[in-house]
Amino acid sequence: MSEVFSSPLFGLALSIFAFESGVWINKKAKNPIANPLVIAMIIVISVLLLFNIPLESYEKGSSIINMFLLPVTSVLALSIYRQRKILMQAFFPIVLGTFAGAVAALTSILVMCRLMGLDQQVIGSLLSKSVTTPIAIAITQQFGGVPALTVASTLISGVGGNLLAPFLAKMFGIKDPVAHGVGIGACSHALGTSKALQIGELEGAMSSISLSFSAIWTVLLAPLFF
Amino acid sequence: MIPLPRKSSNRVLYILMKYLFQLALIFTVCLVGDSISPLLPFTFPPSVISMIIMLFLLLSGALKEHQIKESADFMLSNMAFFFLPLVVGILRYATLVQSLWWQLLVINLVSLFACFVASSWTVVLVKAIQNRVGRNKNV
Repeated sequence: MSEVFSSPLFGLALSIFAFESGVWINKKAKNPIANPLVIAMIIVISVLLLFNIPLESYEKGSSIINMFLLPVTSVLALSIYRQRKILMQAFFPIVLGTFAGAVAALTSILVMCRLMGLDQQVIGSLLSKSVTTPIAIAITQQFGGVPALTVASTLISGVGGNLLAPFLAKMFGIKDPVAHGVGIGACSHALGTSKALQIGELEGAMSSISLSFSAIWTVLLAPLFF
Repeated sequence: MIPLPRKSSNRVLYILMKYLFQLALIFTVCLVGDSISPLLPFTFPPSVISMIIMLFLLLSGALKEHQIKESADFMLSNMAFFFLPLVVGILRYATLVQSLWWQLLVINLVSLFACFVASSWTVVLVKAIQNRVGRNKNV
């Protein structure tokens, strides 16, 4: 039996089935907490623990999926390219807004980590948490952090942004749709953007451009905070 | 480009080959990004370099949207899937995550608020300054 599990095909098949189930449950539940990635994670981990399969066997197949992380991030360029017109209209507000957002996120994370006495490895894993997962992981890997912690944190930020987006604007007196969209994109990446798209077309477009810009700012600025 | 074949079985093959070719183009860009990354004097993730190269190629017209469209859209719409193995890796750090869960929650929510306030109010401010400068120019 262990030979079956140690084949790379096992990890691949399990990942695909688990993710498909996650997407299906997400569609039925219609709730941002029912995130397909989280559901798929729970399924894969349960299968591994239930059948006592070592993580290494699973990773033989899943390493093939990991290989796609680089291309998946690079095609984000296509979504920026498609929004180039809106980008040009609000270039300075977006660039400066995402810069301020990145600085605020990095500073607050560093200060709180220090206050709680967390070690350098954890700080390195959390700094990048407000940007889109592929880039956040790339930053974490450069700092020698724990990608799993980064994923958990980007998920908390994303789901938090998704749930709180309308409330945040009211709470802080934001009436301008551009400002609202940039705020959502800068702090809660793609998961927040999916909510911004529901709030309005302009908010959604702004949010998806901002998530790319705040990612670039975070890549540039994070080494200064580590 | 070769026209789409009439017979449906050939058509499937044709589309499959087209997607594979698109993937190969995307991989090539990433390969370039990956080999530039270690040459840089500062640390910069290869994925972000590849993204910037890709954007530059698209804006300059050297790479057309239709040359990568279907494969890129497939990856964009199923993005979360590619992170599954990394997330499952949390198993290795289960005790670390368990011991840190409330710190993670507090840090994430506080920085979420900080980031939202800073970015959205900067946008409001920059737009106000731009409006004022624009009005002065008109006068």
